[in-house]
Amino acid sequence: MHRERVPACVHPETYKYFLERDAVLATWERLAARYGAPRRDPSFRTMEVVAPRFRVRATLLGNPVTVLRQRACTPADIEELHALLGYRE
Amino acid sequence: MATGDDLEGRLAMQYEPATYRRRIAGHDVIIHCHHYNARLQRTLEGARGIDGKGLIASTAESVFADHLARAGRPEDDEATRLALAELLYARLGFGRIDLGRLAEGVVTASSSHFVEGWLAGLGQSERNVCTFTEGYLQAAVFAVLGAAVTVRETECMARGAACCSFVVERGERGSSPRIAPAPNRKQAGVPVPAERGGPFVRSANVDEQAIIDAVVGIPMVGDAAGLIPAFSVYLANMPADFYNQVCIGFVEAMRGLGREKAAMRLLVSDAEHCGMNTFRGIMHSPEWDGLIAPMVRDRADALIAIIAISNALGWGDWHITAHTPTSLALESRYGYEAVGFREYRGEASTPQCAMLTGVAAGVMELVYGEGTVEDRYGTFASHEESCVSCGAPACIFTVERVE
Repeated sequence: MHRERVPACVHPETYKYFLERDAVLATWERLAARYGAPRRDPSFRTMEVVAPRFRVRATLLGNPVTVLRQRACTPADIEELHALLGYRE
Repeated sequence: MATGDDLEGRLAMQYEPATYRRRIAGHDVIIHCHHYNARLQRTLEGARGIDGKGLIASTAESVFADHLARAGRPEDDEATRLALAELLYARLGFGRIDLGRLAEGVVTASSSHFVEGWLAGLGQSERNVCTFTEGYLQAAVFAVLGAAVTVRETECMARGAACCSFVVERGERGSSPRIAPAPNRKQAGVPVPAERGGPFVRSANVDEQAIIDAVVGIPMVGDAAGLIPAFSVYLANMPADFYNQVCIGFVEAMRGLGREKAAMRLLVSDAEHCGMNTFRGIMHSPEWDGLIAPMVRDRADALIAIIAISNALGWGDWHITAHTPTSLALESRYGYEAVGFREYRGEASTPQCAMLTGVAAGVMELVYGEGTVEDRYGTFASHEESCVSCGAPACIFTVERVE
């Protein structure tokens, strides 16, 4: 998997993470188990989980996922998220 | 004390499909994002020779004294008025303010659209950035206690504080006695146009109404932090009266220095950057990927989709009348700037729609330009040919690639 920086967002460190196709379902199951069930928006065909200091948002296909950090988001928050996503820098 | 449901009901958004206007508690609100709000603030506060900071604060005070009065009820007790002032601020997307220590002359804010916007859009700040909130709080104190006060931010999250802190000062401001907020006085507005205008350029691929319905269907209200993170940007519902008053006031103050044209150019430039940055954020968002990207086959489709979104945000009731990769023409019949100018100043002698003029160029630079935002800036030039504020039936914008 890889990630790409998203410009002009709520936080300068905003990325889209492109999951391996076979890992999408399992990844969202891990996100839901840790941060709660995804909220779905049928009008925009998107879903998101809301963590205390960031949101993970994607289309209903679940991939790629955009991680929208709040200013208070810590390196530990991101490290934990990366572990759930299976992302290594 | 009124219940939370009652207060939320008072602040429910009403949408008028004929003009794309959103109304909350009697005020038309326009949805802009942190890019525009931060840049506009920087322009006003950075202009030498005028009191841009005072203009923002006094305008926020005037507009929100009126807004809170309209949302209030004669039977509201003090606790209800306090709760209403906190709730309006949060629901509009400006953040969270805590008025619980108002009696001590202290207000705190745990989140702020203006702090997030400044840091995300413009980077670190060496000074406090919550000027708007100072004005809002002056209006809130007036609405709650009937007292005219001066509010000053003493600590700001933009400078690393844990929360923003404000002191409420009663009595004198400088050598002048503090007076009640200036009334938000307007003349009769421009009637809603009976004709739709056009003909407009459409695309068989892009379902503009589906886009508008989806955007209007999103509950654009502040989350637990009083912020609206949507389309990968921070949005806020700002009364059109605020934008109109600060922009008119800025141009008039600059006219006093012989710099009226420079003022208009600055406002257009802010909007041009907004057009690029806001929609660049939107075009990279999951919301775009989910609903809009499947409709977009080429760049013209993207442009039509962008204009549909801007209409749903309440910007202009504007539509494309002609379009090539190097040129664009748009017609707006009920833009908030033109209508607002007529309400505040009567008929204008020159076009007044700086925001739409700049955005028109910005979206062309985004869709047809290459490279970074700075690479693209200035590669298209826009002009407002005629304006509703001058008595024309529609505002007409033309955009050409700069050769």
